[in-house]
Amino acid sequence: MIALDQISKSYDGVSRIIDNLSLEVLEGEILMVLGSSGCGKSTVLKMINRLIEPTEGRIFLDGKDIQHQDPIALRRSIGYVTQGIGLFPHLSIRENVSMVPRLLGWPEARINNRCRDLLELVHLSPEIHADRFPDELSGGQQQRVAVARALAADPAYLLMDEPFGALDAITRDSLQQEFLDLKQQLNKTIIFVTHDIVEAVTLGDRIAILHEGRLEQIGTSAEILENPATEFVQNLFAKSVKYWKDFKTIL
Amino acid sequence: MNNTPLPDYIIERLPEIWQRIGEHIFLTGISTLTAVLVGIPLSILAFYRPGLRGPLLGTVSILQTIPSLAMLVILLALFQKIGVIPAIVALILYALLPIVRNTLAALQGIAPEIIEAAQGIGMTEWQKMRLIRIPLGIPVIMAGIRTASVAGVGIATLAAFIGAGGLGEFINRGLALSNTRLIFLGAIPAALLALLVDFVLGYIEKVCDPKRNRHRSHRFHIGMKLSIALAPLFLLIPVFISFFPWSSQTTGSSEKNETKSINIVRIASKNFTEQIILAEMMAQMIEKKTQLSVERKFNLGGTIICHQALKRGEIDLYAEYTGTGLMAILKLPAINNPDEVYQRVSEEYRNRFNLIWLQPFGFNNTYTITVRKQDALRNQWEFISDLIPMSSKLVAGFSGEFQERPDGYPGFQEVYGFKFSKVHDLDPGLIYQALAKGSVDVIDGYLTDGRIPAYNLVSLKDDKKFFPPYHAAPVVREETLNAYPDLRMALAPLGSLIDNTTMRILNYEVNENKRDIPELVKEFLKNKGTL
Repeated sequence: MIALDQISKSYDGVSRIIDNLSLEVLEGEILMVLGSSGCGKSTVLKMINRLIEPTEGRIFLDGKDIQHQDPIALRRSIGYVTQGIGLFPHLSIRENVSMVPRLLGWPEARINNRCRDLLELVHLSPEIHADRFPDELSGGQQQRVAVARALAADPAYLLMDEPFGALDAITRDSLQQEFLDLKQQLNKTIIFVTHDIVEAVTLGDRIAILHEGRLEQIGTSAEILENPATEFVQNLFAKSVKYWKDFKTIL
Repeated sequence: MNNTPLPDYIIERLPEIWQRIGEHIFLTGISTLTAVLVGIPLSILAFYRPGLRGPLLGTVSILQTIPSLAMLVILLALFQKIGVIPAIVALILYALLPIVRNTLAALQGIAPEIIEAAQGIGMTEWQKMRLIRIPLGIPVIMAGIRTASVAGVGIATLAAFIGAGGLGEFINRGLALSNTRLIFLGAIPAALLALLVDFVLGYIEKVCDPKRNRHRSHRFHIGMKLSIALAPLFLLIPVFISFFPWSSQTTGSSEKNETKSINIVRIASKNFTEQIILAEMMAQMIEKKTQLSVERKFNLGGTIICHQALKRGEIDLYAEYTGTGLMAILKLPAINNPDEVYQRVSEEYRNRFNLIWLQPFGFNNTYTITVRKQDALRNQWEFISDLIPMSSKLVAGFSGEFQERPDGYPGFQEVYGFKFSKVHDLDPGLIYQALAKGSVDVIDGYLTDGRIPAYNLVSLKDDKKFFPPYHAAPVVREETLNAYPDLRMALAPLGSLIDNTTMRILNYEVNENKRDIPELVKEFLKNKGTL
């Protein structure tokens, strides 16, 4: 379980990018953090693996304050898929995927087996793709590699920062489906940042809506739709529902 | 001699060409390698401490702006040493800028999302450097090393100026003897070497680019890493070359005596023809009459460099001129009586520096103000003072040394009370040609230079007795004379052996007829019955 307890972040001491945010991610769930760009959702993610330190508040992983943990060890125990793809362009797919196990000092045979399994898991062929390089793969394939890399050391937690944001609609759609299947198999606790309501509703067990650094509402999509907590949330969903209706009418 | 067909000319000098190329590769290679070993860690340090970046880049940039000759002279003063060490240090300092600048740019230029990913998966600072920044930056870093190496090959030609060898040796000698063939003998291999280095490093640069050989086999990668690691061993090739038997003949007959004795006398000369002839003469006498062997450190870049080297014991003797010793070294006022000048410099040199003046060769190579004969006839110039009425129209071409020395142009202006309208700074080897061709109207000639009569030039009489006598004589370290008593005897026959006319002829034979100096000297000494 991940727990954020009254987290605030300010760079200038005056304005707060994150303002007194508290939330919990339950064991084995996907929590979608939904918000427009600049609302601080990536910042929340980066505070969990200590790429950014909060100004106030504490973060607990399995009840342990991450402030008391070694950041390097902490990051290796959390899967992280960055915004943009962030694969290492000079390393082969195999080397990219096996980076964390290598940093952790796994034996070679175990790394190789793990790499094979992972590529198959994300629907890539170890024979065809393992020795290719990132720029020889399509955007969708690269994104699968990024997910495989994040899963390599079998972390209990996964942080995903708009992983499908840069993909075309069709690729995104199929990757989302695959991701849902994957989630069933893996049973990981995942925080998934997105600005796409449809993606949030499709993938999330629960959704946390962030606006200007503050948590507007957290709950399942049904709860939020039925009972929007603020005007902002209401407007946000109303628009999407309207589009959806219009879309149906056209069909 | 000047009629030697070009192929023979080159073949004759092939062993020395190889040796000089070897020295050149050694100078450039060792300095670039050191600059890499120093520059890359410095850049990595500066990368982590941004406060250091400005000062580091500032320092290496300023070093780059120092003219190469000035740099060599500064280092010469700093190290109190001629030869390879200051040359290598100068080359290292020049190589730092491209290496440091490119390495810093390479480390800073990695896309932020890649760095974030590396950090996010739990790499330490050092792992980010080793696994991400350096491998991705290699092509840019290599480009910096390549720039440094190619520039280094060029700059290394100046190393000969302070006796560090290399292909610049030919260029220097060619300039001193106004021998174009010799200049090309150094310049062309140096240019080819620069192209070769550019090509080879360009190839390595490509090979190092992670994108290029990504699909090569594992073995290829291991082979590549191994060959890059072993590349510095190529620096041993020049060392090997210089120990190789066929390169031994380049240092001439000195090798023959090496077997008899390991005692070595180091003879130097300044960078003009007469000096090289005199030095060769002393060398042959010593080789013939003693068991000593001779190391020739000819063609050093001027009076000060020779004198400093002699004082510090890096050389044992060279030929100096009494007037130069009196005014340029001792900074004493001019004296007109030749014997008095000789007495004075002998005393002062012994007391101040423990250096001994042996018996003069006999000729007086004074500075002369020299003009074209036709101008002299037309304007009825005989004495230097005759130039006064026209001085505002006359353009002078003076050697750098003449313009600075108290017994040169500065003192000249005081005593004669006039200036020329313009003074061009010319290489001493080129001034006679410049005058003959009409590029300048007046030059500082050496009285014993054979080109004065040959080019239809004439020296004006020094009516105010400004120029002191310049009698050439061997100047030797007292220490050396005490250690090798034969030395004095061996050089004694050269005393009063050469008068002005003879020296003029010898100079002319070398400058105009392109005679080989060792051969000419041997012939001369034989004819005189001294060998």
